Amino acid sequence: MSFLSKELVLPGASATELPGRLQATFVPADDAIAWWGLPELEEAVREHALPEGRPGTCRFALPQQDRVVLASVAVRLADLDAALPALLALDRRADVGASVRAWRDAAALLDGDDDEAFEELGARMPAAAHAVLNNEGTAITAAPALLTQFRQGMSTRAAISSTTIKAELRPYQVHGVAWLSARAGRGYGGVLADEMGLGKTLQAICLLATRRSAVPHLVVCPTSLIGNWQRELARFSPTTPVIKHHGAGRELPESFAPGTVVVTSYSVLRKDEPLVGTGWDVVVFDEAQQIKNPEAQASRAAATLSATVRIAMTGTPVENRLEELWSLFNVTNPGLLGNRARFRQRFVAPIEQRRSATAAAALNSMVKPHLLRRTKAEVAAELPPKQYSTIICTLTDEQVRLYREAVDRAFSEGLGGGIGRSGRVLALLTSLKQICNHPAQFLGSDLAETGRSGKFDRATEMLAEIVDENDRALVFTQYRAMGELLSSHLADALGIRPIPFLHGGLSSERRDQLVHAFQEDDEAPPILLLSLRAAGFGLNLTRATHVMHYDRWWNPAVEEQATDRAHRIGQQRTLNVHTLVTGGTVEDRIAQMHDTKRGFADIFSGDTEAALAKLSDEDLHAVLDLDLDTLA
Amino acid sequence: MIPPEFGCTPWGRAWVRTVESTTAVGPNPMLPKARSLARNHAVTLSTGTGRLYADVSASDAVQRVRIDLPRWPARTQAETERLIAKATADAPGLAVGDLPDTLEADLARHNISFAVGLDEQVAACDCRTRRRPCVHILATIYTLVQLIDERPALAIELRSSDTKLASLADLDWVELTEIDAASFYGD
Repeated sequence: MSFLSKELVLPGASATELPGRLQATFVPADDAIAWWGLPELEEAVREHALPEGRPGTCRFALPQQDRVVLASVAVRLADLDAALPALLALDRRADVGASVRAWRDAAALLDGDDDEAFEELGARMPAAAHAVLNNEGTAITAAPALLTQFRQGMSTRAAISSTTIKAELRPYQVHGVAWLSARAGRGYGGVLADEMGLGKTLQAICLLATRRSAVPHLVVCPTSLIGNWQRELARFSPTTPVIKHHGAGRELPESFAPGTVVVTSYSVLRKDEPLVGTGWDVVVFDEAQQIKNPEAQASRAAATLSATVRIAMTGTPVENRLEELWSLFNVTNPGLLGNRARFRQRFVAPIEQRRSATAAAALNSMVKPHLLRRTKAEVAAELPPKQYSTIICTLTDEQVRLYREAVDRAFSEGLGGGIGRSGRVLALLTSLKQICNHPAQFLGSDLAETGRSGKFDRATEMLAEIVDENDRALVFTQYRAMGELLSSHLADALGIRPIPFLHGGLSSERRDQLVHAFQEDDEAPPILLLSLRAAGFGLNLTRATHVMHYDRWWNPAVEEQATDRAHRIGQQRTLNVHTLVTGGTVEDRIAQMHDTKRGFADIFSGDTEAALAKLSDEDLHAVLDLDLDTLA
Repeated sequence: MIPPEFGCTPWGRAWVRTVESTTAVGPNPMLPKARSLARNHAVTLSTGTGRLYADVSASDAVQRVRIDLPRWPARTQAETERLIAKATADAPGLAVGDLPDTLEADLARHNISFAVGLDEQVAACDCRTRRRPCVHILATIYTLVQLIDERPALAIELRSSDTKLASLADLDWVELTEIDAASFYGD
């Protein structure tokens, strides 16, 4: 929250005295119990047979002479699943701080779910047990509030493990689901604004899956993401009934199975009466930048939906764009910020025109309880060095038509045999991959508009978000023509020009210049397009925090080599690797064969395209034919 | 449309009128200077019931300003509370710190004024000019106008009795200054 937060100078822990005795504090953001309080921390934790957990640093309040100040404290963070049984088993005579005993008591109370007992515990907990600071470093969480969060965290864990969710959640994700569930439980809306790559979709799916209400849930997302939502729901929560509500023949059923999730797009939401006429439990607005303009039809329609709770998800930091912030909260928490004219008077004018600190602080305190944003830097310790995600993109009607025509034409004309066959199969594969990329590439046009390719639109949205976060990305394609189309389109869409494209047609001096600029020059465009062939090895592009594979090489080794341009062993930051796959197409089919190691053996042994040419017409048709049902 | 810099809500506007009185003879040449001080963050203002304190930095010196405002008599206070309750009930979805503008009209109809005219204020300033109100006092009022525009509820709080001021303390957080260092570890 840059306009809101004050820069803090944290005194090192050395400035304040540690108590010299083991302490325990529940840290909701890490979904863990922090052990702290003495220099030989690990030994003390081991001595009491408590789980050591992972090392970390927490911002706590600590006493310094007769006042309480903020400090960074070295801690060990133990997951609740391990910490609580160990606390319960702790010897009653153990020489530990009162905060440790307080959390042992909290653990013991969990089974009973006795509100009064928790209230009594909240009243006697020492400050050390709830020394978790707010963002500003001015206050700590009150004991009753922290105990409530503790209970919510535990019930969320129980809810997740009692459903068939097939995912290992990271601690911050468990906290996110607990936060979302607590909001839903109280009928409040909210904005989940985690940075891209932290798993917002998974957290939302957990919320939906753990609320198996008779009333259905609704997910509204950009058209390009409908397939991705269906795929992610099926992958992480296979028992959740999913209905896609999109396209010409769409129709909502008379009744819904419990826990049903309806997935629709913003373009349908704008004009669809059944959506407005249905009562929903949770409504999730993914890529909620789509409703950042309060005048837009989608925003108006979003605000009129009837729902228990509305959750907006966006990776774009919204705090500093006040009108957008208002628009989002007008949907998720109507009334929170007042009407638009008043919001302008009270906040926009004071903050933007005269940098009013009081207005900024007031707005911050109003918004903070309803907005959850974590950055990769904040949860870095919980992230792996490389994080892979596959994004399933949706075909447009034009792409569907071109794709079917290409397959039908090739098979009705016949693919023949021998050397001629492999040439014709290769040509067909190329056509299909071009159609998935963008019809303009297939048709040989110089201009690639939005709205014609789900993958193209999705890539643009993701790159806009990455640039917004001041991150850098490498985008790989195997086609020179596609790289050119992306370069000119992204320059317009992002307002950054030129977007450089490194390909084999450039001189080696020019390529070196591009690499050097990307690595060293702060003014250089944050996006670099690369031809997979030209950039396979030798280049050092470690300033990128995102790698996007726009189309598939179908040779995992080649792709990994490209990915490693941006990754160096020992690198502290997480590298996000995004692979775009068009759902239901040959791209999707081959990706699944790679993932499951099933299908035709040669396909994942190296030369996928040569292997496909060897298949019979029937087998080949099965791989290439468009299968939109897998997504329906 | 860009809202006016001072008095974009009826609540702030009522306070603007106390210094930019329409009955005054000719324009007050100090007002532009006072607005400039307020605009340029030269005024540090703290407010309490019936009282304004400000440090005004002007011409390399800091002047201390104190303005006392008469509180409402009990009957006015009770009447105001009744009107507030009615107006806020009619305005669901009112944001924290805001008041419905219809309330301002209601108060006027009942002859309750929340802004305090210069003649009713007891204002003191450290500066040596003889003229009252001085530019520092005027700048303080302009700064108050901005605070009231940001949080209309302040307009009522300034005139209410102390007991009504119990601001909605945030129960979920404990300020560091409220924590007792001696019992921090509880043992």
